[in-house]
Amino acid sequence: MSSAALSLPPAAPPARPRVLLVGTALASAATFMAFVGLIGYYASTRAAVIADGTRWLPDGANIPLTPGNMAFATMVISAVSVWWAVDAVGKNDRQMAYLALALTFMFGVAVINATSFLYTQAGLPVATTPGALIYIITGAHLAMVVVGLVFITVMVFRTLGGEYGSRDREGLVAAALFWFVTIAVHAVIWYVIYIVK
Amino acid sequence: MAVTETPPETVQASAKTAGSGTRSEPTGLAAILGTGDHKVIGRLYIATSLLFGLVIGVLGALFAYEGVDPGELDFFGANHAYPLFTLFRLGAVFLVGMPLVIGLALVVVPLQVGSSTVAFPRAAALSFWGWLLGSALLLGSYAVDGGPGGTSTTGVNLFVASMILVVVALLVAAICLATTVIALRTTGLLLSRIPMYSWSVLVASVMWLLTLPVLVGALVLSYVDVRHASGTLGGNAAIFGRFAWVLRNPQVYVVAIPVLGFTADVLATTARARLAGRPLIQGAIAGAGICGFGAVLATPSSAGIESPVVVALGLAAVLPVLAVLGLLGDLFRRGSFRLTTGAIYALCASILLLVATAAGALGSIPDMETAGTIYDLGVAHLALLAAITGALGGVHWWATKVGRAPAHEGLGRVVPLALLVSTLVASIPDLISGLTGEGVELAADWTGGISGLNTAVLVGSVTVVLALALAVASLLPIRRVLSQVSSDPWEGQTLEWLAPSPPPLANFDGPIPVVTSPEPLVDQREENR
Repeated sequence: MSSAALSLPPAAPPARPRVLLVGTALASAATFMAFVGLIGYYASTRAAVIADGTRWLPDGANIPLTPGNMAFATMVISAVSVWWAVDAVGKNDRQMAYLALALTFMFGVAVINATSFLYTQAGLPVATTPGALIYIITGAHLAMVVVGLVFITVMVFRTLGGEYGSRDREGLVAAALFWFVTIAVHAVIWYVIYIVK
Repeated sequence: MAVTETPPETVQASAKTAGSGTRSEPTGLAAILGTGDHKVIGRLYIATSLLFGLVIGVLGALFAYEGVDPGELDFFGANHAYPLFTLFRLGAVFLVGMPLVIGLALVVVPLQVGSSTVAFPRAAALSFWGWLLGSALLLGSYAVDGGPGGTSTTGVNLFVASMILVVVALLVAAICLATTVIALRTTGLLLSRIPMYSWSVLVASVMWLLTLPVLVGALVLSYVDVRHASGTLGGNAAIFGRFAWVLRNPQVYVVAIPVLGFTADVLATTARARLAGRPLIQGAIAGAGICGFGAVLATPSSAGIESPVVVALGLAAVLPVLAVLGLLGDLFRRGSFRLTTGAIYALCASILLLVATAAGALGSIPDMETAGTIYDLGVAHLALLAAITGALGGVHWWATKVGRAPAHEGLGRVVPLALLVSTLVASIPDLISGLTGEGVELAADWTGGISGLNTAVLVGSVTVVLALALAVASLLPIRRVLSQVSSDPWEGQTLEWLAPSPPPLANFDGPIPVVTSPEPLVDQREENR
């Protein structure tokens, strides 16, 4: 009996509470709601202006589609790379994890670059109703992208430090979750602001 | 992301608890400034919000005084009445009501779910200091003639920035609380078994997280508008309008949701009976939260007030409150009820919430045409004072966990009754004035309400302030250091009463047994018989 008991594998450690993941999910939901409010305000203001028979964008202003489309496509691709990183850590494949995280970081920077290029092309003054609203919403999203990149970077360092591995990748999953919400917000912005104009 | 780590002091305290000997807790300023202990943070929230409560209460009483005879009395002057009125309305929610509720929850919720700490303790500390800094800047912005309607551009910018800080700080606290309930429950404490107070805090926190970010978005919009866009989106004049939906029903009910959970826990304990129909009570509390989703009103125009969704939410909000109180009524039949201060507080807070939601339902009928009148003010006062009464009751009920000794029981019994009567006296005249079409919510010359009834508002407002001062006096004894304090003075049912009084740094003296029912302490007593 005792030898049989000794030969048993050690008991699994108690499940670690997924505090960071839950907190990130709540914070992501709150951030998403902030954008829902802003975009709702944008849509209703725009509808009211158009209902008055006025043109929404001021004369001389234009929102070019190409940088907006490029930024959105980049964000969508980054969804693949961030999940690739999570999956690689799950398989203890560190090299692939670092490569995927570096790619995600690069994609994030590319989105910031494309959006700032769009600003230079739009010719939209901030002291107009559409200008103020568009800069607030897209600027807030850029801030969200930066926060997401910082979050991912911190998780990369933690993974490098050995805190996360195949048995526990909560931090990376949390960062990925926040990144997915960032992409979802970008999808709404892309449609409501860039496509519908 | 250091905030995601368990604070070293808590880890060390846990280790010491598991081993032998005790660790000396930090004292003096270090125990306040550098702490990650949820009880200290909660106490700081409670003490500061009560202090603000007295200031905001006096301000409200002065407005009530001027309202008695606005033609003769001009206490604030034409230039300052509007900004100070906005301070009164915003302060009641963001400097008093919400932080008081959050402070109590920060102390009690980790104890109720059997956790040694709150989730993200450093973030919780950051939320308090951020809120305090934001509140100080907010008051400073009014002092330099900022605030909505203020003449100083810098002051207005400061007002908007400080409001963003205040709301974000409170949201961080809400994340800590919700995460604690979701992820840090002890073994066996399923969501269906958690104490009703913790459940109600979870519901309220989630609702805050789903609605108040919309306000943050609107504030960012105001900031950019005033500072960079030359007021193209309405400028200074539009700022206070963006808060309107937060200060009226149904959104204002969300601050008072924990009243329902507090009432359920206290009545079950004082009746010495297990709660029956727990899923129904949990469902009703969640329903009350959903009915408080006022973010649908956050539109650029006021047209949303008459939208079917808003009318439906306003009408429905009274039903979950009635359902909870109806289900709790069963305790009086089954249990052996004893009168405690906590029970009196719970009943008074529930009555106020019931009156608030019933008045809100009446006012939500479009034909009543109460939107934008002084009627909204009456409903908001009822709901906020329900929340404040409930939170004060919570501090009294859990006095040996919040502080070091029981509160003054005799004095404490007077306070909830005084708060109930004075709140009704202060609010019902506003409801009547609103229903009769007398007065918009804030007229430029401050002439809202029927002048005769405004005398009753003044009496009620002054009594509210006195009752708040009395509440503070009744709570002062909790600071005493006694040689021995019972860990369970009320024959409690839930885990917080397993913790020593006052609770040590890691909350519990040893491992918590696996929970097998919603009333683990009742189980323990029955086993020991």
